[in-house]
Amino acid sequence: MTTLGPTGFLALSSALLGIGLFGILTRRNFVLLLISIEIATNAAILNFVYFAAFAPSAPLGISGQSIAVVLVGFAATEVAVGLAIVLALNRAKGTINVAEVTELKS
Amino acid sequence: MDALAMAAPFAPELVLLAAALLVFLLDVLGVRHLEALGAIGTAATGTSLLLVIADLGFGPLGALRTLGASHLDAVPAPGTAPLYAFSSFGLVFQGLFLLAAFLVSLASLSRPSHERGAAVFFGLLLLATLGMLLVAIASDLIFLLLAIELTSIASYILVGYTRRDPRSLEAAMKFYIIGALSSTLSFFGASLLFGAYGTTNLYAIRASAGAVGYPVLALLGFGFLLAGLAFKTTLVPFHAWAVDVYDGAPSDVSAFLAGGTKKIGVFAFFLVFLGPVLYLRGTGGANPFAGPPFDIGPVVQVTLAVVAVLTMTVGNVLALLQREMKRMLAYSSISQAGYILIGVTIGTAPALAGATLQVLAHVLMKSGAFLVVAAVAGLGVGPLIDDWRGLGARRPALSVAFALMLLSLAGVPLTVGFVSKFVLFSAAVQAQGLFVWLAVAGLLNSALSVFYYGRVLKAIFFDPATPTPAPSGAAMGAAGPPPLGAGGIGYARAAAIGLIAVAIVALGLYPQPVLGAIQSAATHFVAGGA
Amino acid sequence: MSLPEIAFALLAAVAVVTAIAALLVRELVHTILWVAVFFVDLAAIYFLLEAPFLGVLQLGVYAGAVTILLLFGVMVTRKRIFSREAATGIGPVAVALALLTVVFVGTGLGELPQGEVTIRAYDPSTLSVNLFGPNGAWLLLLGLIMLAAVSGAIFLVREGRE
Repeated sequence: MTTLGPTGFLALSSALLGIGLFGILTRRNFVLLLISIEIATNAAILNFVYFAAFAPSAPLGISGQSIAVVLVGFAATEVAVGLAIVLALNRAKGTINVAEVTELKS
Repeated sequence: MDALAMAAPFAPELVLLAAALLVFLLDVLGVRHLEALGAIGTAATGTSLLLVIADLGFGPLGALRTLGASHLDAVPAPGTAPLYAFSSFGLVFQGLFLLAAFLVSLASLSRPSHERGAAVFFGLLLLATLGMLLVAIASDLIFLLLAIELTSIASYILVGYTRRDPRSLEAAMKFYIIGALSSTLSFFGASLLFGAYGTTNLYAIRASAGAVGYPVLALLGFGFLLAGLAFKTTLVPFHAWAVDVYDGAPSDVSAFLAGGTKKIGVFAFFLVFLGPVLYLRGTGGANPFAGPPFDIGPVVQVTLAVVAVLTMTVGNVLALLQREMKRMLAYSSISQAGYILIGVTIGTAPALAGATLQVLAHVLMKSGAFLVVAAVAGLGVGPLIDDWRGLGARRPALSVAFALMLLSLAGVPLTVGFVSKFVLFSAAVQAQGLFVWLAVAGLLNSALSVFYYGRVLKAIFFDPATPTPAPSGAAMGAAGPPPLGAGGIGYARAAAIGLIAVAIVALGLYPQPVLGAIQSAATHFVAGGA
Repeated sequence: MSLPEIAFALLAAVAVVTAIAALLVRELVHTILWVAVFFVDLAAIYFLLEAPFLGVLQLGVYAGAVTILLLFGVMVTRKRIFSREAATGIGPVAVALALLTVVFVGTGLGELPQGEVTIRAYDPSTLSVNLFGPNGAWLLLLGLIMLAAVSGAIFLVREGRE
């Protein structure tokens, strides 16, 4: 039986969300953007896990862990799609030799 | 038999899933003709649309009805937390989603048939539509967000479908980053709501909110959800991505995004902010969000109202400044989202009906407009509005159809756009108080929008044609032999555009049947269904 | 402070430091290393929260698969697209926004039960009953998402003849 104070967890997850948002707003490298998004997603997963741990009753809490399991799978899928897009973009730019990075305005 | 009875209510969804799997299977087996795969996609979305209309209780299709009338608008037993529920309001939205998917699928039959990856195009179109249908039956936050993600992931790929074109892939990348950010914010919001109420079920959240009110955690959760959904619905200040994405995506996909996938955000707004959660049901509308520890109703409504007015105005003003057709249409799409949000803000049954009718009008007008853009690009006309000069003389039928769509977007009488705005704004006036100003803002914005639609119409019909240089192969993207039929547009695309034009006028002249169905569904939604 | 509290404080500090370091270091490969540490650290927090199944999942999916995917992405796209240089003009705004988020969410702190709470442990069989039973639709949806993602990703990266 572990006992813990719950306040620290929300501080941690809000800090992670803040770091992720900071990264999404300032980084321009695609891999860094992916990592920022993953850090923020992990904050949400962490939330679900500890709200499950501190839930008032077991039936209420267990679905929090279920959600966390599903979210872990979803986040990995999302990363795979992102990398597929960036690989295709990398190749398209490479083959037709476009110097500039952005063609769409703004 | 038991399994069959269990699966029957999901017939529209299962048709789409089966068709998607069939398309992928045929691709593996070597059947890669765009026409064959596209026919499956079109037939599946059409069949599914008929099934949904039958489920809504439309008499002549009674034989197709798979969802028992008792399942519709049934309130779940207390203590149960179902992940999905069938409401007539949700079914109406399913019909709208399927209409958009059907039109885009039909028009896409005229895509260049040498194109590789038809299976992926139609397979993902079907999966995205499946996600949209599931959004419309969700009664659980996680179910809702995962269904939105199914649509989003499929549409990221669809935006990058012309994978040799860096513009298309760059749009896909932007869409992906924004989409991933918005899903992260939404899931974070859901996690805070889970922490505040111990459940993600929308009914259960409503019950707990009635009992314990809105702790700070829950308010933050709603805030994050609002931001996440605002990205999906392209509300100001989360709108900037939409223009680049609609501009860079293949025009058929832009039609699907603007006419279809964007609307799932609208429905999610209804579910989360008016549905079982912050619902005003039973309070007589006097003090809708009242509850301990303090009253958040006015805050939510004022926030939504400000966002709605900002979205309308910013979209319209920026549309006025555009020189490219697709970017102009994208900004006008943003402003239309603002009109729809008026309905969410007011939250009465007439306002919901008006917003839903506006969604229907927008499905027709905006997917139609983007399909015309795709057709015109196939004729070798450039992306600028000025390049469209003199099109009225060259392609009268196509130009008249496009003119109808623009007039409807501007809200000119005798079109569906007028009817929807009329219902919406009169609902705002009925609601009285500050809501009247929403109607005023909407009317002013409609007047503003006449300028830029009028400019396009002037270019098409009254300006002399400029001699356009022959389009270079690179600029056209995958320039192949033009599709057969209807003067280089393709029979299927011409049929889709014609259908939309007829529907715009028909619904403008005789909206009663559709309006009646929407109003009764909206009344159910407000009165106590899901 | 009790032993679990000290452990949590350490793990949380490591999580924050590694997350910041991952976004600030100059070399992308180092970024991946920091992220790997971050994911492993979160797995440790899950074990501390008596969610061993999630801890293992975090190790396998995040620390394993996602890290490898990211490393792969760095290797293939290196210096081809996207500027390496990190900062853009809106740095201070982003920091302010991030801090604001932390403060906002932090205000929710006062609502939680204060003091020590016994952590509710679920054994993996309860979890699986919940995951495949009443909440099975979530997994079904995840499967559909993966179907869309896999077919789309293969299409995008396939070297096809046009």
